[in-house]
Amino acid sequence: MPDAIVTRRLTKTFGPKLAVNSLDLNIPTGSICGVIGPNGAGKTTTIRMIMSIIFPDSGELSVLGKASAVESKDRIGYLPEERGLYKKMKVFSFLTYLAKLKGIDSPAASTKVANWLARVGLGDVARKKCEELSKGMQQKVQFIAAVIHEPDLLILDEVFSGLDPVNRLLIRELIDEQHRDGRTILFSTHAMYEAEQLCDRILMIHRGQKVLDATMPEIYARFDPRTMLVQPIHPDAADSLRAIDGVIAVDPVDIDSFELKLRDGTDPIDAVRRVAMAIPARRIELKRTSLEDVFIDLVQATGDQTIKREDLRTNTTLEQPVHA
Amino acid sequence: MLKTFYVAWREFTSTIWTKGFIIGVLMTPLIMLVVAGAIALTKNLKGPRLIGSIAVIDESGRVAQGIKTRFSPEFLKSEKEQLVKSVDQTAKEGADKIGLSEDQAAMASGIAKDAINNALSKADLTIEELPPTIDLAAAKAALAAIDIHEKNRPEGSPPPRVAIAVVPAGAVTPSAEGVYTKFELFTAQKLDFEIQGRIENKIAAAIVDARITSDDRIQRSGLTPEDIRALVKEPDANTATLTKEGEKKNAGAAQFLLPMAFMLLLLMSVMTGGQYLLTSTVEEKSSRVMEVLLSAVSPAQLMIGKIVGQMCVGLVILTLYSGVAVASLIVFSFMHVLDPILLVYLFIFFFIAFFIIASMMAAVGSAVSEMREAQTMMTPIMVIIMLPWLLWMPISRAPNSLFSTIMSFVPGINPFVMMIRLTGSEPTPTWQIPVSILVGLISVVICAWGASKIFRIGVLMYGKPPNVRTLIKWIRMA
Repeated sequence: MPDAIVTRRLTKTFGPKLAVNSLDLNIPTGSICGVIGPNGAGKTTTIRMIMSIIFPDSGELSVLGKASAVESKDRIGYLPEERGLYKKMKVFSFLTYLAKLKGIDSPAASTKVANWLARVGLGDVARKKCEELSKGMQQKVQFIAAVIHEPDLLILDEVFSGLDPVNRLLIRELIDEQHRDGRTILFSTHAMYEAEQLCDRILMIHRGQKVLDATMPEIYARFDPRTMLVQPIHPDAADSLRAIDGVIAVDPVDIDSFELKLRDGTDPIDAVRRVAMAIPARRIELKRTSLEDVFIDLVQATGDQTIKREDLRTNTTLEQPVHA
Repeated sequence: MLKTFYVAWREFTSTIWTKGFIIGVLMTPLIMLVVAGAIALTKNLKGPRLIGSIAVIDESGRVAQGIKTRFSPEFLKSEKEQLVKSVDQTAKEGADKIGLSEDQAAMASGIAKDAINNALSKADLTIEELPPTIDLAAAKAALAAIDIHEKNRPEGSPPPRVAIAVVPAGAVTPSAEGVYTKFELFTAQKLDFEIQGRIENKIAAAIVDARITSDDRIQRSGLTPEDIRALVKEPDANTATLTKEGEKKNAGAAQFLLPMAFMLLLLMSVMTGGQYLLTSTVEEKSSRVMEVLLSAVSPAQLMIGKIVGQMCVGLVILTLYSGVAVASLIVFSFMHVLDPILLVYLFIFFFIAFFIIASMMAAVGSAVSEMREAQTMMTPIMVIIMLPWLLWMPISRAPNSLFSTIMSFVPGINPFVMMIRLTGSEPTPTWQIPVSILVGLISVVICAWGASKIFRIGVLMYGKPPNVRTLIKWIRMA
């Protein structure tokens, strides 16, 4: 099956600023791909070019096999970063209006809208004006607007921003469901945690350039975990841990746990085995590399030392991970 | 195509079904009708019939009889007949002037006669002559205490005195320098101003009669006061404009009113739709619904849909108001002053004017993020709207002057100029109409093209509103 989205040397400048620089992309059909990067990295610009809302200065792209998204607009669901509602319009009319704009005929649109509203628990606000809705409700309405016409490709720009934990979870489940139905999903976020939870593919952009484009297993394989979490049965095991081959540092965490740093090139599986033999432990865990670490590693490898963890964690209060 | 229709339909319905539109645009003509009807009704209401007397203190000794005569039932009757006759005459002349049929003239004079009957039947006044030796101060004091309304007075009491007129000898006989003195009129409280005016007029007329009859020179010539009045009455002119097609009766005010009405109609319908377009575009931007829409439709589809939707709003207004106007012309059998082809032109020029203004409004609306930023960019639109007001007088005065002809080909304002000229007093040279329409269509294409460029880029731009140079850059960019 051909890739859902392909771009070649996609470039866009805004005045003196190079927003997207010679971007090559392949998003396979059926995948769920997260575009991550700090604010201003070029995520929204890339997505807008894919949507043919703005046009690249140079480069080529194909969306669902067509040269432009305009030709297959009705097969794409798009949730823009700048999203709003008609304040004075009723929720139901707003959604049926958008459904009709996306090529659904009138009677079918009403049924679909009613079903969707009921599904996300907004059945009782259908006749309310959009401005009367809470922010979370509005986000859900916007999400419905993006998926109402059952698109083959779903593009969600900053889908989690401004959501409370409960609604984040709901949206995450809805996205997951869309993915299970076989839709290709591309979503951008600067919250790496959500991407880690949802994606099978990650595209990292920094300053308009692609720094990583790989599947999650590839990423985990490529970026070895070099941190291990150990909870010994006897709390005074620090010295024994330090003596294990390949361990270069032991830092206590919590009351009874330790974080072990492994030397570069050490096989983590062997290290786990050695720890298990050295001490009786309640828990031995290889910590997965977080996307955040990967991102910072990659960016620093390009010689850019200015990137900070804080840049990847805007809206921290709202975007704390939530465990299902 | 279907998407454009959906956008247009939403734009149209969301504008029409608002309280602001229904009250402001649809109800206004209705309210005006009701108010006009109410005024007509109250005007026809008969005031309380007044019965009373006027005391006349005639110090000249020559006027009292004249006043008495002028208030006598016989005189009132003949006066009424005279008035009706003169109204008939005026109506006929007026009808002749603006080309009314017999029926319409009869209708007009009928309305006037009713008004006269109403006015004249309101008062029943008698004259009592008082000797000049009477105590004026006491009489005045008594008058001040009088309540002239019958219902406030004890039953069976004699009619009240409503006024005291004092005619000094000097009012009839001039002083050595040839100056006449004024007469004095004291009235009771709450006397209807119309009745008071009538009393003043009759006494004044009686004084003039007395002056004429007491003048030796006129006595010798044998002229009566009626003769003198007929002599000094200034004649009216019977004006006609000479055109190649022959004599054209001068329509006077109608010559200016028709172009004014057409220009206003055009301006109002174009501006209402245009204003709504600006508001809804800015609202879509500021509420960030724009990009959601763009996920389903292209910027061009959105813009065209919005313009078409608001054009329908403008058409509703235009049809409604011109419909009311035409209907009232038909009711009053006035339709002949309006050539139906003018209505066709009105709609043609509406489309041209609307598309130009709407394109500009869409461009401005898409370029700014908030309504208040739009004000500074409205200047070119305001110029187009203000110019017809300035041009209305010079153009309707000389519809075929070089100036008017040139203005008919200036893009932007030419629909308004052509409307003024076409409805004006002189026929517009035939070739100028299609040429002006062509100029209009070309400017529509250019405006729409430029606007679509600005719209496509502007709708996604937030922040500082762009200046003219940026807008031109946008037009050249995509």
